[in-house]
Amino acid sequence: MIRLTDITKSYPVAGEALIVLDRINLHVEKGEFIAIMGPSGSGKSTLMNIIGCLDQPTSGTYELNGELISEYDDKQLAKIRNQSIGFVFQQFHLLPRMTALENVELPLIYAGVKKAERMRRAKEALAKVGLSDRMEHLPNELSGGQKQRVAIARAIVNEPDIILADEPTGALDSKTGKQIMELFTLLNEEGTTVIVVTHEAEVASYAKRTIFVRDGKVTSAERVVDQELLEKIVEKETFDS
Amino acid sequence: MNVMENIKMAISSLRAHKMRSLLTMLGIIIGVGSVIAVVAIGQGGEAVLKSQFAGEANTLSLFYMPTEEELQANDSRIYEDPFTQEDIELLMTIPEVKKVVASSTTSTNVRFREDQTDSAVVGMNHAYMDVYPLDIKEGRNLIAAEYLSGARVGIMTTNVVEELTGETEAPFVGEIVYVNGQPIEVVGVAEEETGLFSFGAKTIYVPMKTWQTIFAKKTITELSIQTETVDDLQIAGEKATALLNEKYKKEDAYQTLNMEEIAEGIGQVTRIMTIIISSIAGVSLLVGGIGVMNIMLVSVTERTREIGLRMSIGATRGQILFQFLVEAMTLTLIGGLIGIALGTGLSFVVSHFAGWPPLISLPVIIGGVLFSMLIGVVFGMLPANKAASLHPIDALRYE
Ligand SMILES: Nc1ncnc2c1ncn2[C@@H]1O[C@H](COP(=O)(O)OP(=O)(O)OP(=O)(O)O)[C@@H](O)[C@H]1O
Ligand SMILES: [Mg+2]
Repeated sequence: MIRLTDITKSYPVAGEALIVLDRINLHVEKGEFIAIMGPSGSGKSTLMNIIGCLDQPTSGTYELNGELISEYDDKQLAKIRNQSIGFVFQQFHLLPRMTALENVELPLIYAGVKKAERMRRAKEALAKVGLSDRMEHLPNELSGGQKQRVAIARAIVNEPDIILADEPTGALDSKTGKQIMELFTLLNEEGTTVIVVTHEAEVASYAKRTIFVRDGKVTSAERVVDQELLEKIVEKETFDS
Repeated sequence: MNVMENIKMAISSLRAHKMRSLLTMLGIIIGVGSVIAVVAIGQGGEAVLKSQFAGEANTLSLFYMPTEEELQANDSRIYEDPFTQEDIELLMTIPEVKKVVASSTTSTNVRFREDQTDSAVVGMNHAYMDVYPLDIKEGRNLIAAEYLSGARVGIMTTNVVEELTGETEAPFVGEIVYVNGQPIEVVGVAEEETGLFSFGAKTIYVPMKTWQTIFAKKTITELSIQTETVDDLQIAGEKATALLNEKYKKEDAYQTLNMEEIAEGIGQVTRIMTIIISSIAGVSLLVGGIGVMNIMLVSVTERTREIGLRMSIGATRGQILFQFLVEAMTLTLIGGLIGIALGTGLSFVVSHFAGWPPLISLPVIIGGVLFSMLIGVVFGMLPANKAASLHPIDALRYE
């Protein structure tokens, strides 16, 4: 369902091209749960943003559900982001003057859903993340974990095929992080494809497959289930260069 | 994404910065307010001018302008009493004309027993009495039958009575006076007129027919037409002069006062004032508009991450553009509404001292609303466009 072919991303820095992603090939099946790991600055976020249609590759092709996304224009990309992809960020990115419910409603507004239907679906999404009792709270009246759960509700409210989470637990303590990862596991079990960028082996252990990005390349894409083995690999991949 | 959502969003973000929003609106408030006030005061003044020409009774005088030859021929009969009874009937056929007011005036000798004096004698038709009612002090008004038959009855102003009897409060109804040597029974005494041009004039009012008998003339000195509304007056006047000129085969001898021309002359001062205040308003609107643009640019910068987030959950560039345009428009619209309220208040205050009622017309208010929205669109375009052309990732990562 996601197929990246020879994806390259480079930035012009001081007159030269800084290559961040170097001919990446990646295939993700529907319903997968993937962790992306790698050292800081290796291009993980860049890769996520390309998958999430927030950024476009310098070259290469991107196919999503059989459609050639790399050929899409701004408007079509906006629609993909709205309908097919749910984003979860490390810094939550909730709109501060809107209640939890209104924040969750937002993607539905852009989808053109009517008010009553919007309320119903937003409440449903909030119930799913266990926040039925916090709907009218403003973001600054919520804990970090609650904020992230609101953000997850916002990501799933339009029932996307894919959830992309860039270090979703990065700003949370490990216990809260666990709860968030359990939520992703639940969503994955319901059939949603989940891709999580993380630095933590513990977080990655929730995924069924872990991908390592390093110097702009995908260096490993094997299935790792054993937590201890994973941790070793992470250590090796991250610090061994 | 509908407009209501956008307006709600705009209001909530303006409320988040109440002071800033209000200060930003100031230019718009002053601009729109002064335009509303100037127009209201100006239109009020114009209406007052108009009604002064038309009289409170919406009447317009017709007059006869003699040609060079007629003046040289010195045949005053043609132009001193230029109208006839048939002319009245002709003018009544004009749809806009409600009444035709006719009067003839001569000055003549009036005698009562041994005393005599000079007085104006006004022969009038029934319409005249309706349009310019007399303030009867004693006795009664003339009645319809007396107009029809040309009865030898009349009404005198108090100063005539005073001249004839030497007393101010003498009962005079029922007495017979000789007007131009002919007997007239006094049926009423009226307060003398206090109008600007007729102040203190001694007058005897008689039916038109009676007047024509006394002075042995078939003609009428003055005609004016009355319409339902002031606005009909000019057109009715044009029709009337056209009919009369056609009837008497004259070029342009029958004329009316052209109210518009006169109003124009007098309105000159008002217009200069309007231009000055309007340019102040214009500058203030321009400055206000630039203020709105400035604050919207600040707002876009402050909310860069919000814009990135909105894009990441599916907002198109068009939707972002629209959101900020609506926000700018809401800002200027609220400013415009406050301006309209203040302008209305101001025009009431100014008009109170100027002594005429302000005319707040709906088109002006609607114009004010639309214009302030237009300012929002024009000056919001640049910031909104800046917001819409942000790159989602750069916007999300903006620190
Ligand atoms: N707009 C840009 N211009 C130039 N270089 C950029 C730009 N955006 C990202 N980069 C570079 O691309 C590289 C990859 O960045 P990216 O954010 O994808 O790393 P990451 O793997 O997510 O790192 P971290 O784990 O710290 O989040 C970095 O070296 C960064 O400096
Ligand atoms: Mg990153």
